[in-house]
Amino acid sequence: MCAKGPESGPIRLGDMMRRTMWAALLLGSAGLLAGCDQLKRAPAKSDAAVKESEFPERPLWGDTHLHTSNSVDAFGFGVRLGPEDALRFARGEEVTSTTGLKARLSRPLDFLVVTDHAEALGAAKALYDAPRLLIRDETMRRWHDLMQEGPAGSQRAMAEILDARGRNAIPAAMINPDGAAERTKSVWNSNIDAVENYNEPGKFTAFFGFEYTLMQGGNNLHRNIIFRDGVDRVRTVVPIDPTYKATPDEIWNYMEAYEKSTGGRVLAIPHNSNLSNGLMFELTQPGGGPMTAAYAKRRARLEPVVEITQIKGDSEAHPFLSPNDEFAGYGVAGWELSNLLGNQPKVPAMFAGEYVREALKRGLTLEAQMGVNPYKFGLIGSTDSHTALATADEDQFFGKHSGNEPGAKRALQAQNLGTRKGRFGWHYLASGYAAVWAKANTRAAIFDALERREVYASTGPRMTVRFFGGWDFTADDLKGDWVRAGYKRGVPMGGELAGGKDGAPRFIISALKDPQGANLDRVQVVKGWVDKGGKAQEKVFDVVWSSADVRKPVAEKLPPVGDTVNVAAATYTNSIGAAALTTVWTDPGFDPKFSAFYYVRVLEIPTPSWPAFDAARYKLKLPADVRVKQQERAYSSPIWYTPGAR
Amino acid sequence: MSDWRTRAAALLREPLLHFLMAGALVFAALSGRAPGVGERRIVVDEMVVAGLVNHHIQAFRRPPTAPELDELIRDHVRSEVYYREALQLGLDRDDEVVKKRLRNKILAVAGAEAEAAQPTDAQLQALLTKDPARYALPPRYTLTQRYLGEDTPALRAATGGSGKALPTVPFPLPARVVDAAAFDLAQQFGDDFAAALSKTPIGAWTLMASGFGLHLVKLEQRAVPPPPRLADVRQRLENDWRSAAVRSAQDAQLQTLLAGYDVAIERPK
Repeated sequence: MCAKGPESGPIRLGDMMRRTMWAALLLGSAGLLAGCDQLKRAPAKSDAAVKESEFPERPLWGDTHLHTSNSVDAFGFGVRLGPEDALRFARGEEVTSTTGLKARLSRPLDFLVVTDHAEALGAAKALYDAPRLLIRDETMRRWHDLMQEGPAGSQRAMAEILDARGRNAIPAAMINPDGAAERTKSVWNSNIDAVENYNEPGKFTAFFGFEYTLMQGGNNLHRNIIFRDGVDRVRTVVPIDPTYKATPDEIWNYMEAYEKSTGGRVLAIPHNSNLSNGLMFELTQPGGGPMTAAYAKRRARLEPVVEITQIKGDSEAHPFLSPNDEFAGYGVAGWELSNLLGNQPKVPAMFAGEYVREALKRGLTLEAQMGVNPYKFGLIGSTDSHTALATADEDQFFGKHSGNEPGAKRALQAQNLGTRKGRFGWHYLASGYAAVWAKANTRAAIFDALERREVYASTGPRMTVRFFGGWDFTADDLKGDWVRAGYKRGVPMGGELAGGKDGAPRFIISALKDPQGANLDRVQVVKGWVDKGGKAQEKVFDVVWSSADVRKPVAEKLPPVGDTVNVAAATYTNSIGAAALTTVWTDPGFDPKFSAFYYVRVLEIPTPSWPAFDAARYKLKLPADVRVKQQERAYSSPIWYTPGAR
Repeated sequence: MSDWRTRAAALLREPLLHFLMAGALVFAALSGRAPGVGERRIVVDEMVVAGLVNHHIQAFRRPPTAPELDELIRDHVRSEVYYREALQLGLDRDDEVVKKRLRNKILAVAGAEAEAAQPTDAQLQALLTKDPARYALPPRYTLTQRYLGEDTPALRAATGGSGKALPTVPFPLPARVVDAAAFDLAQQFGDDFAAALSKTPIGAWTLMASGFGLHLVKLEQRAVPPPPRLADVRQRLENDWRSAAVRSAQDAQLQTLLAGYDVAIERPK
């Protein structure tokens, strides 16, 4: 039946199939159904059928980090929406949120990764435990009753099943009686079905993935695991959970074993380094001792991208580390006090292991010492929403979890994620999205873009950011097809500069506002390098900004763009700022002897924050320390320059 | 070979059957070792060990080493002890997380049959006939565009309606898009721009506004697909059908269950 058309199959097998699926769920062994995929699937949908463009033409927007009712903490907060609702919502369809609100994403996403925590990827009930009332099939009910009678009854039930199917030999390899493993597998498999049913190459990509919630004490070392592959490969594995583990070795073993045995590909994206109390980006091997080149190589290969911004704060830069950067410190309030669970306070010495800019600098330092850069990663944003709803705009923030979906009290509520000390509802950000420069909207093309780091992060707005590094770009290039020139004569974001001529690297940089959002204030380049004393340095350059004719830097500092936010009404106007900012820039302090990285930061004009929208909607009076406006931003993946590579 | 033999042979090669058989053994295994809440005996038998080994193989693609297996078994025992003790102490009772968990599980059980059911073409066709607009395929466009800059009165005046000679501004999105779906253009230029394309004249340079400002647009082709046929949108129809079926099965289940309860609500006066 699975392999043949319905007309050639044995009679009534369709019915049998249905019963079997039903039994499978009760048994918690749906994984064994792999062979029957063809039956359930609509005609094959293939990435290969979608044509890839010569160059990536537009950024694809997505969320690589979303939880549903299959995540322990999410359902603990009460969410009742599962992966299917999450996928429908991301595709732009209306769903009803856990608290009963109708919700529809004003602009659909291009892709989604549902990353439920692996610890308890759900569980199915065994038939034995099923309430009798729920079993409608007579035969099944009889077996159920027999089993309730005890071992003798169970044996009879088994005999009957075997007899009924006219066969009494079972391949030993198919026996997998371990309850826990089977429970994990079964929900994993129903996740797989939902993801596959909603994946539509060319229009909307749904990835297979899960979250590996690695923790050391209450220190966040979480990673999202994302597969490039389809059902055939992914169904052969189960998610693993990190209970009692303290280092990423085990998940890396898992990933390598998967790739080796299936020929598939998988990557990991760490997140919330800001809650790791200094452990996410260490200078040493985890647990101490000098970092080995083998560790660095492995990490760089398996973790090519880091999630820099999400609901639980932004991890780009902290004022303690970057005192000369007036825009450092976005989304650090509340989160800078302690680790994830709030059981260990944070001291300033920990920040260096937590913030991405510093990690990129540490990467250069480590590379100078041992020849490999463990922290050569690209940047994305995502939501980490636990409501199954991937929202990221300030005016439609749906809450971190179902306990703080829209409502009058949420902005000022103390959050008991670990502690009631110091963290309040308003510390949550409306979160971010991942932008991916892929050549097509398919699993393969998006995954490959992540792997080559041709991606960027946004704190929510869908700004278009292009960034090319090369040696011979000039302002004249902007008059022609500069995107083609960027790819042909340089490298895009995430790339490495090699084989240059004399002189400094030159960059084509372009930012376009969200077509339905706020104007842009400025575009900056953040440079990091290791000086001749072996010390890591950083500098932020304003490279192109709005109203340049009237806004002139004073002592290297650009005057603010202005502010049109009406906090009480939660509005702003695009009467300041620019729609598009483009330039060709070169590094005035370039020294070919020293390794460096460059990434772009784009700032919007000030806009109202979600607490301001809440205050307007629910007529609230907010205390003075609550964030009521902000300059949202995009962070490109860096381009690296390495002297030896020239 | 006689017909029944052929059929039997086909049946024996049937993965479904293999699955069913394995399922039967799982039944048996589960029922055979299901512990009573107060049972003081933890048996780690061959079946349990085989399960632990299998899970390890599935995750790491190799059997556990002897020390790894020892640890897996130890951990299995730890879990079992905690689980049974917790049940003994009634720690599962009135636990909000446990309650929500079980609620989700019973919903999953209730919806399982609908989840696995296969709709007929007639059912899908009925869904399509009921709401063809929902399944309509998007119009597709081929166009060339030039970005002139932000939408200001001065720029509008300068275009004088045609604006072909005006200088363009560097723009990071493609100057020419070929056969792009309306939703793709909406993602790039904003919803209003994409919507306006349904009325833009073909073959002439036209001044159009986007979320970025003004563009000169030459629409070369507008392809409005015919009403969708079942085959074009089968997956979406199946998804919608299944999702509705699961929901109604869950609702029906709830009614059945509720019928067995006497609910008394005593509001505080």
